[in-house]
Amino acid sequence: MAETPSPEAIVKRESETPERDPIVSTSTSGLMLICVLLLIGSLAWALYDEAYGQRPWKRAQQEFVQRYTRYLKSIKGQSKSTEQEVKESADYQTIEEEAKAAREQIEPRKKEIEAEVKKVEEKLAAVTDPFQNARGQITVINYKVETASESKKQSLRQQVEQKKQEKIKVYMPADDGSGKTIKQEYNFTQLQDLYNGLKDQKAKLLSENAELIKQPSELEKKRTEYLKDHMTGLAPAQIDSLIAKNEKFDFSLKQINVSSANVVDRCETCHLGVREPLPIKASDMAPDGPGKKPDEWARAFVSHPSKELLTIHNPDKFGCSSCHGGNGRATTSIEKGHGLNRFWLHPLYGKENMEAGCQQCHMADRVLQDAPHLTLGKDLFQNRGCVGCHRSEGFDRETDALGNTRQQIIQLEDNIKANEREARQAREAVGNASDEEAQELQARAESLTVANSLIAAQLDQLNIQARYLMQDQKKVGPNLKDVRLKLVKEWIPEWLKDPQAFRPGTKMPTFWRLNGEMAHDTRADDDRKAIAAYLWQEGFDGKMPQQEREKGNTANGKQIFETVGCMACHSIGDSDSRTGGDFAANLQRVGEKANFDYIVRWIYNPRQRWAPYCPKEKRDLTAEDYAKNNLPFVFDTEQHSKCPNDGAELQVQNMTVMPNFRLTKDEARDVASYLFSLSDQSSTFRDPAASSYMDDPVLKEKGREKIKQFGCAGCHEIRGFEEEQRIGKELTAEGSTPIERLDFAMLTQKAEQGIDPDTKKQGEEWYNHKGFFEHKLAKPWIYDTGKEKEPQDRLRMPQPYLTPEWKTALTTFLLGSVGTEGANVPPSLFYKPDDQRKAIQDGWWVVKKYNCMGCHSIQVGQRSVLMDLPLYQNPDWKDQLPPKLTSEGARVDPNWLLSFLHNPSLSDENNKQGGNEAAGTTQANGAANQKTQPTQSSQANANSSSGSTQSGAETGAPVGNQSGGAASQPTVQTAEQFNPQPGADRNGVRIYLKARMPTFNFSPNELRLLVRFFMAVSAQQEPYIREPLEPLSEQERNLARSLFTSEGAPCLKCHITGDPGHDKTASAPNFLLASVRLKPKWTYRWLLDPQQISPGTAMPSGLFRKEGDRMVFNGQTPEAFNNYHRDHAELLVRYMFLLTPDEQRRLTSSSPPSTGGAAPAPTTKETTGASPPPAAHARRTKWRAEGLNSHALRRAAPAGTRRARSPGR
Amino acid sequence: MLKKRARFWLAVFALVSLLALSYACGGKKDADSGDNTSGGGDKPAATAWAPKGDEGTITGKINLTGTAPAPQKIDMSQDANCASKNPNATTETVVAKDGKLEFAFVYIKDGTLADGKKIGDYSFKTPDSEVVLDQNGCHYVPHIIGMQPNQKLKVTNSDPTGHNIHALPNKSSGNEEWNESQPSGAAPITDKTFKRSEILVPVKCNQHPWMKAYIGVVKHPFFAVSKEDGSFEIKGVPAGTYTVVAWHEKFGEKTATVKVDAKGTATSDFTFDAGASASIESGSLTVVPAIELPMLMKH
Repeated sequence: MAETPSPEAIVKRESETPERDPIVSTSTSGLMLICVLLLIGSLAWALYDEAYGQRPWKRAQQEFVQRYTRYLKSIKGQSKSTEQEVKESADYQTIEEEAKAAREQIEPRKKEIEAEVKKVEEKLAAVTDPFQNARGQITVINYKVETASESKKQSLRQQVEQKKQEKIKVYMPADDGSGKTIKQEYNFTQLQDLYNGLKDQKAKLLSENAELIKQPSELEKKRTEYLKDHMTGLAPAQIDSLIAKNEKFDFSLKQINVSSANVVDRCETCHLGVREPLPIKASDMAPDGPGKKPDEWARAFVSHPSKELLTIHNPDKFGCSSCHGGNGRATTSIEKGHGLNRFWLHPLYGKENMEAGCQQCHMADRVLQDAPHLTLGKDLFQNRGCVGCHRSEGFDRETDALGNTRQQIIQLEDNIKANEREARQAREAVGNASDEEAQELQARAESLTVANSLIAAQLDQLNIQARYLMQDQKKVGPNLKDVRLKLVKEWIPEWLKDPQAFRPGTKMPTFWRLNGEMAHDTRADDDRKAIAAYLWQEGFDGKMPQQEREKGNTANGKQIFETVGCMACHSIGDSDSRTGGDFAANLQRVGEKANFDYIVRWIYNPRQRWAPYCPKEKRDLTAEDYAKNNLPFVFDTEQHSKCPNDGAELQVQNMTVMPNFRLTKDEARDVASYLFSLSDQSSTFRDPAASSYMDDPVLKEKGREKIKQFGCAGCHEIRGFEEEQRIGKELTAEGSTPIERLDFAMLTQKAEQGIDPDTKKQGEEWYNHKGFFEHKLAKPWIYDTGKEKEPQDRLRMPQPYLTPEWKTALTTFLLGSVGTEGANVPPSLFYKPDDQRKAIQDGWWVVKKYNCMGCHSIQVGQRSVLMDLPLYQNPDWKDQLPPKLTSEGARVDPNWLLSFLHNPSLSDENNKQGGNEAAGTTQANGAANQKTQPTQSSQANANSSSGSTQSGAETGAPVGNQSGGAASQPTVQTAEQFNPQPGADRNGVRIYLKARMPTFNFSPNELRLLVRFFMAVSAQQEPYIREPLEPLSEQERNLARSLFTSEGAPCLKCHITGDPGHDKTASAPNFLLASVRLKPKWTYRWLLDPQQISPGTAMPSGLFRKEGDRMVFNGQTPEAFNNYHRDHAELLVRYMFLLTPDEQRRLTSSSPPSTGGAAPAPTTKETTGASPPPAAHARRTKWRAEGLNSHALRRAAPAGTRRARSPGR
Repeated sequence: MLKKRARFWLAVFALVSLLALSYACGGKKDADSGDNTSGGGDKPAATAWAPKGDEGTITGKINLTGTAPAPQKIDMSQDANCASKNPNATTETVVAKDGKLEFAFVYIKDGTLADGKKIGDYSFKTPDSEVVLDQNGCHYVPHIIGMQPNQKLKVTNSDPTGHNIHALPNKSSGNEEWNESQPSGAAPITDKTFKRSEILVPVKCNQHPWMKAYIGVVKHPFFAVSKEDGSFEIKGVPAGTYTVVAWHEKFGEKTATVKVDAKGTATSDFTFDAGASASIESGSLTVVPAIELPMLMKH
């Protein structure tokens, strides 16, 4: 209403001058147009963005399809010609012709069968329906019979009979195949027979057909296999199918969805080549065609570099981002997809740190075969001593486990007490209780007592564990309680100032806070002196058994050092020209810093401790402690590991991983002499006046503080710091620390801008974990830059020696150490096997701990340090390499391995279980011993009396002040003497090797881990139960014996026989060891082709050849073999495993004489009885005697470099 | 008017949106920064060698100054069959007479042909002939052999005892190590070759440690072994200038530059010093950079 104006109003308006009407006179259309256009524009933009902007991968897919097709086409020609070549080869042609001929041969019969089958099928089709109808009807009536009342049953049964007699019409197809049908009539039974007959006929025809085509299809399969085996790349047909796939390419998101792991990865949307069946290199996908310069796209389209890894970690189960990091869901930009935008928690790992991704699931693995850099990072973390200050789960496991065990012991002891109390109370309450209650209380008390006995058993185990764990606990650095005995006093502060200056590359990091190079460390000199003073004053005092340095034979020492195995861990030579392993110290300048006497004792037995440490009393015990309890001052891991005062388990060994090479004392002195000959000791560190402050007690107290501050006890044993905890941050989950919690301090801005703090140059942004770790590792003080701090608050981490490669490896390890929480996969995907693989996982920690790979090849393809030493490049020395252990578990009996690892010399003293295993070697000794000649024995005696403290029985050694209390006891051994060696001065199995398997003094824990490791690696079942061997018949024994001794068989030329003359030139183990040591199946395979098991071994291949289904000796066999129709290699294995010493003697006496007949060097066997090591002594003297008499026996080559050894060893 | 305006705005808008689009879409990085994984620099295919008929010869003598260590008698008592067949065997490490050294291996290491091509630019056909290594009297005959890659080696055993033939190529050469047994009277071993050139592959018998032979594997046929009188002769050498090396198992290597004219004979004598000895024999530690030693397993 209001909208319609009244006529008056209209009139009125008309009378007025019309105002400017905005509706008429102005227009908003321009504005509107803009808006509309904007709207349309934004719609268009939105549509475009939706289609392309948000989907940059579309272009990637187009590029991929185009480039990949081009590449495939480019290799097709090659593939075709390769295929052609293979197809034209004679072998292929033969198979092809055979296949064709076979096919042709069966073709007629096959056609017949097919025709017959067709006919039968037609008949069957005609019969089936009527037959099934009739059967159905009968079934119905039968059912009625079953349910009907008795009276009706009869009539119904008749009905069934009737039905069966009824004629049924069947339209059978005519036999002539004309398609006509013939009407026939059958009753039910006939029809049933007909039906079953037809079915049988069909089945028979089909099976005949199958039999028929078997041969041609097998040949065709063989043909295909042959082609496949001889084609290097894909076959043309496969390439064609890939091209066809590209033509029908589905342009869409490619997604992996693993709901269980909460992984959604769309990486393959762009990285389309990852799972392609052929290796694609970046250059294959170059924009200008294969082989040209690749661009970013090309690098994105490559296939995964390791097919094997992809097979193990199937992307459909793991996705991509689980390993590589990145944001698997993001598809809108490369940056986002790779998770490189700020604050994304799991950015893509860079190329050099790629293996960090392995760590999150493989935290528990010490060695990852396919992640060498990560493994290197872990090696460094352990070997370079990071672990001394920083806990990381899995590392230094003994200390962790020891803590747990001790905790459990306390808990269980509490439980026992509580149970005892409750039981006592229950028994007390019995008196006042009713009968029923009394019974109950009595039962309760009884069960508590029994429960306590169970707990006691558990406690026993834990106590044993604690002892073993203590035995296995090692420190990265040497025991500093020994500094007074070991070191040149003046050298200590020099070393503290800059260890890298004295020994470049050493594990000891530079404590830059102590060298005074930082402006704010004004008291660095004082601090260093204080630390030196503490160490000096808190060291053991006493005297080492005096060694006559001049007596040491430097040349012999050099040979021992270079050949016995020292160089698997140690290097010599100056920094740029080091030779040897990096696992332990470079020994070039050891003579400048150390006390000769100490080094001799150290080489003789590095585990021998000056005094045991009691963790309960928290102090080192003295001889007085033992004397007080009427005990000799004897401590070792076997029988004397308990504290005489309180029974606590003692630390009885030096906490070093260095093993005992069981050298004689003279040999140890020779090695020490050699090491001391490498450097000039006259000039440096010999100014006693400059070190008087080290005896200042005031300074010592200050030193205690500093040692605590710098965490020296993380790597070293230091008196007063035995129970010290690690001072550094735990790094188990360091890689997942949120970036804002990594303290870049004043460098945050520089890091964000990518400015290098040293050179001030602009580079890549380093405000990320990688940047943080790398800068910290390079300069541990860097994040103090520009800070105002008290000296004690400043950063403490010392600067480790790291090559660029090492730094990257450690960074990789740290980046990957994200802990359970920080992992971007659920714990269910972590690698935590509970089968044999667990044994492998655990074993690696021990293998790496003792650097077994310095001498042995344990992984297939792994080279030991020794293998690459110049010495072993010489063909004569190659046979001197320690054995490869890649198939050790399959080779040896686990029980034997256990005893061998425990006592690698297989000496009788320590090895009671080995019955005949050492027989061969001791027999050699025995044989030599029996032929005593007066002159030589007197010589031996003369030698033994001139030798100083050889065994514990000799007590003439100087007695230090610490053993004063025990000195009155005639049989006492003090730490200042040389303990007897744990075994003989030789190898147990490969007596002929110069390199020696040392005694590691593994605890039973580690022995178990190692044996299980080797068994698991070779997939051997445990416990091992021997396969019974078929006994030899008398005829077989004669045969085997004749083969062994025949001219043609080379066995006895190289293998040790126990005949000392022969064994001089022997280069293979004694057959007598086989039965206890080896497994028959492995031995059999070894006989056939040793080169396959251990390439390069001295044992040749081709000793046997195949004849029918058995192996026969590949040479002239004795005549008796003409009637023997069994496997020769198997016969030899059985003979070998049933070999007795008597039988072996028969063998050697009937085999051709092996030496020129010079008499073996005889000696007297010392019969001092109680003292364990006279054998070693005798051996040494024997060597001397022999040296005088039997030069002729020495092996001709390599005479210049051989170390003199007795024949019996 | 209105139409005109609309057109104007449309044009403006179109322009703006085009600009915006081109900006938005042009953001793609044109990255083709260096990645040298490409097989780009494929070696040009080697030219097959064919003699032209004007080849020359390199001859010379191998001299030895100083007192040569006398060959030592080998104690073969370890194997009676050896001792009886070859009772007077002596070592062959240094065999010299009148200052002339036998068993030096002389070969062309490098050089440029008259046509300006390097000798390495040519490929040489693998000879069809076999190189025979015989075991006779418990020593290898010949002591030093030269052959070409992939050429067949035939190992025979003329002894009444068994041997094993253990070839110990240097691990860096890429040749396969093998160790085959060959009993007395067994058929010759014929399936062995060396795939790659190597100076020289030591061969030994583990059962008779004194037995040693060396096989020089050279890519071309220009090599020779010095004879009893110390002389050697390399025939069929194309005209050019070459680095010729004489190798001896004890005394190491001597190098000379030799110019060969077409159809000419170039002479080059080599002189070893009996006082010197190469590292391969002494087995002592030569120094290598520590960084190359694998502290850890690498693949």
